[in-house]
Amino acid sequence: MKRNGLWIGLCLLGALPGQAQEQKVGAPPESSNMKLVGWSDLQARSAYQPTIQKQGSRFIAYIGHHGGTDDIPMPINAMTGQPEPNGTSIVDVTDPAQPKYLRHIPGAPGKYEDGGAQMVRLCDGSALPKGDKAAVYMLRTFGGQAHEIWNVADPSNPKLLTRLDGLRDTHKSWWECDTGIAYLVGGAKDWRAKRMTQVYDLSDPAKPVKIRDFGLVGQEPGATGQVPTDLHGPISTGPQGNRVYFGYGTNKGGVIQMVDREKLLKGAPEPTPDNLRAPEVGRLLMSAWNGAHTVFPMLKMPIAEFANDKEGQTRDIVMIVDEAILNECNEPRQMIWFADVSIESRPMMISSWTVPEASGNFCQRGGRFGAHSSNESMAPVFYKKIAVIAWFNAGVRAIDVRDPYHPKEVGYFIPAITDKTDKRCVKVDGKDRCKTAIQTNNVETDERGYVYIVDRANTGMHILELGGEARQVAGLK
Amino acid sequence: MLSRSTLLQLSLAGSLVAVLAGLAAYANWYPVPDAEERATGWRRIAWPFPRDAFPPGRAWRRDDTEVYVRPKIGFCGNCDTGVVEDSEVDGKSDIDLLDASFVPVAEGKRIQITDLAGRERLYRIRKDGRERLAQAVAVSYKCDLIVAVVVGKVDDETVAKAARRFLETNTVQVWLNGLLDGK
Repeated sequence: MKRNGLWIGLCLLGALPGQAQEQKVGAPPESSNMKLVGWSDLQARSAYQPTIQKQGSRFIAYIGHHGGTDDIPMPINAMTGQPEPNGTSIVDVTDPAQPKYLRHIPGAPGKYEDGGAQMVRLCDGSALPKGDKAAVYMLRTFGGQAHEIWNVADPSNPKLLTRLDGLRDTHKSWWECDTGIAYLVGGAKDWRAKRMTQVYDLSDPAKPVKIRDFGLVGQEPGATGQVPTDLHGPISTGPQGNRVYFGYGTNKGGVIQMVDREKLLKGAPEPTPDNLRAPEVGRLLMSAWNGAHTVFPMLKMPIAEFANDKEGQTRDIVMIVDEAILNECNEPRQMIWFADVSIESRPMMISSWTVPEASGNFCQRGGRFGAHSSNESMAPVFYKKIAVIAWFNAGVRAIDVRDPYHPKEVGYFIPAITDKTDKRCVKVDGKDRCKTAIQTNNVETDERGYVYIVDRANTGMHILELGGEARQVAGLK
Repeated sequence: MLSRSTLLQLSLAGSLVAVLAGLAAYANWYPVPDAEERATGWRRIAWPFPRDAFPPGRAWRRDDTEVYVRPKIGFCGNCDTGVVEDSEVDGKSDIDLLDASFVPVAEGKRIQITDLAGRERLYRIRKDGRERLAQAVAVSYKCDLIVAVVVGKVDDETVAKAARRFLETNTVQVWLNGLLDGK
């Protein structure tokens, strides 16, 4: 009996979640169907948006950075030996196994989201209607103060062209390269939201033309009463799709607003409630517990299960990515959601997906655990097949989205930490209790099928490739 | 078939459980006032708002004045600058829970509650079918926000001051610090 009791006890212990798997410097990365190809330390700067641009025969990665940390407000630029406020890293990733750091352009002084230059988008001058054909334009934020446009045709020697300043905040903008229309996230004077949309015609980046300000009714100047949640970022399907999907909220009270692009651009620009309402074709309200960091449209998706149905064989899908903001699971789970927006006036959530917490005891590893962002490239290699999602301490997750009613993980990669990885703390009995964990913040893919993930906790950029089932789903050889 | 006496016993037991549950709920909503509450006359009332993105806060009443307070962990828009704009008080305090159609009466002002700095702003609201004044406060500690709304005759400086002093008492501060410190 005693022996049986001991066995039962041991079995119960085995059934309990494992000990916290806190990451250690020197320990290997964790992965499934994703493999490390190359790495850049990004000068140990906290990283946000990566964007990969093909420039001739080269592939160049532009990485936006958050401001510095309390411990290191201005990291040293190893190329100049000087301390510089975090800005934009420019890395040649033509050979992904040997990424070459080309240049750091300093951003706004200031720590965390108060400084840096976190957002970056690229357009070829040859694609823009009135651009200099020889130029490559980089649109970036400058702290919360301004948007800037640089010519990065020579990525080692960028030249500042234009600055749009006087803002109260900035964030995750979108730029249509074929038209030049830009949806700049910022805080216009007198608006009641620090993050709303300023629509510009940047078809000639040297001469920006303002089209209008836009936001949810209640955010406009002079409004009273309830203030809708701030914008996080828009994604446009351009003139062909004629839709702009706006995601509001970060980890709370998400709103997905679907807008007729033509009406937005050509409608009366004065920010009256009627004019703000006019271009909206649909809206999906999320729970107070979840926000909309990224709203990624995947329109006209054929759904295999519905192939024999007389109607509705293809569906317009929007993938919604929440953002976890608190360390060690001190908030409701932030994850990814799929909405069927085929009937725009009646959008409906159809599925969700999260990393199983117990698969890595992620709530105890330190730092944030939850979704943050997805790749935004619509290059055919992955589009509507695989979405890659940055999941903070659970690394990056490759999701098979071919049936968005049943999304399925096909690969993951959790980078190893280094001695530069920054700690993340929570209060326990009034004192800071800190742990060090990877904080995969943002992700992007290129047309070759490489995956670029960057770390919020200063661990740099990891370049990955898919393997196994994930590779098969993408159709890569 | 249960006997009459068993039915009686069961119904008595049921009534007792209901009374105890009622008492427990009453004790939860109207806890025994602490020394400061007794001295200042503020009395806890139930948090009256429906569940939303943040855990419920605490509320107190004295005479015709009510105070609603809660922390919003991680909700400060800018951890370095704190609350610097009136739009942040409009959008992040709980003034909208009292009346979604609140109307600001004046520009806001900078405010300090103990060592927490931020802004306060005066609003006109409709509550319980009548027009009231409300002072909303949003102060921050690093990335955490603490919001409060005082409803009453807050255009009277004596009333506004008394409410502010109450926000600085141990009754409020010890509770808030415990939440902010992860206790």
